[in-house]
Amino acid sequence: MTFPVFASGDVLNASDMNAVGWWLVKTQTIGAAVASVTVTGAFSADYDNYLILLSGGTASTDMNINMTLGSTATGYYKFGYFGAYSGTTVSGANGNNATSWVGVGGGATNGLYSWCHLSDPFASDRTLFSSMFAQPSTTGNGVQQSGFLDNATSYTAFTFTTSTGTMSAGTVRVYGYRN
Amino acid sequence: MTYKVQIDDEVRDATADEAARIDAAHADAEAQSQAAANAAAAAASGRAKLAALGLTDDEINALVGA
Repeated sequence: MTFPVFASGDVLNASDMNAVGWWLVKTQTIGAAVASVTVTGAFSADYDNYLILLSGGTASTDMNINMTLGSTATGYYKFGYFGAYSGTTVSGANGNNATSWVGVGGGATNGLYSWCHLSDPFASDRTLFSSMFAQPSTTGNGVQQSGFLDNATSYTAFTFTTSTGTMSAGTVRVYGYRN
Repeated sequence: MTYKVQIDDEVRDATADEAARIDAAHADAEAQSQAAANAAAAAASGRAKLAALGLTDDEINALVGA
């Protein structure tokens, strides 16, 4: 038996396990009413590419959630577009050597959400991201964007920071794509 | 302003440096939000002026997008 279909009692050969695409690297539960959450030990030489998911929990108000890597507070570039559920207007938003990637995720009193892909955060190379999120609020937005961090620093940690207010009780999951 | 920050499972008050970074993140978000709002307002104003010239919504969309 080979991947991706297995039967009860099958032997999992190395070739089958090595074909698994995503591995859960870390799960972090968010505490109560925090303005930021830092996840350490997220990136390593084991993977080049990562998927970071934020879900559940609550936000104190409609908000964006920004991302930074390590202690870096400059050199964040991005472009994205978004629109409110209430209309059809598409708006752009850019970051030009900003202090963070604004709007990698978002939140509302109904929950927190981010889908964020990172390439090469651990490698000594530029880190690129693509992200999208939907605010669970009738007055909220849908957002998609991408960009990069303009340095060649190797990172092991990242931080989600609210654009305003606080977040509580969500879950951050970090997955590594098998190289 | 006092913020709570979380490092893995530890939740504590932000240091002055951490609070400054959170303030910067808030300022970045506000600036980008304001820029987007300004762009949306300019687009709406432009569409209104085109409509005042007699263009239909379909004609405006054909010129500048929906």
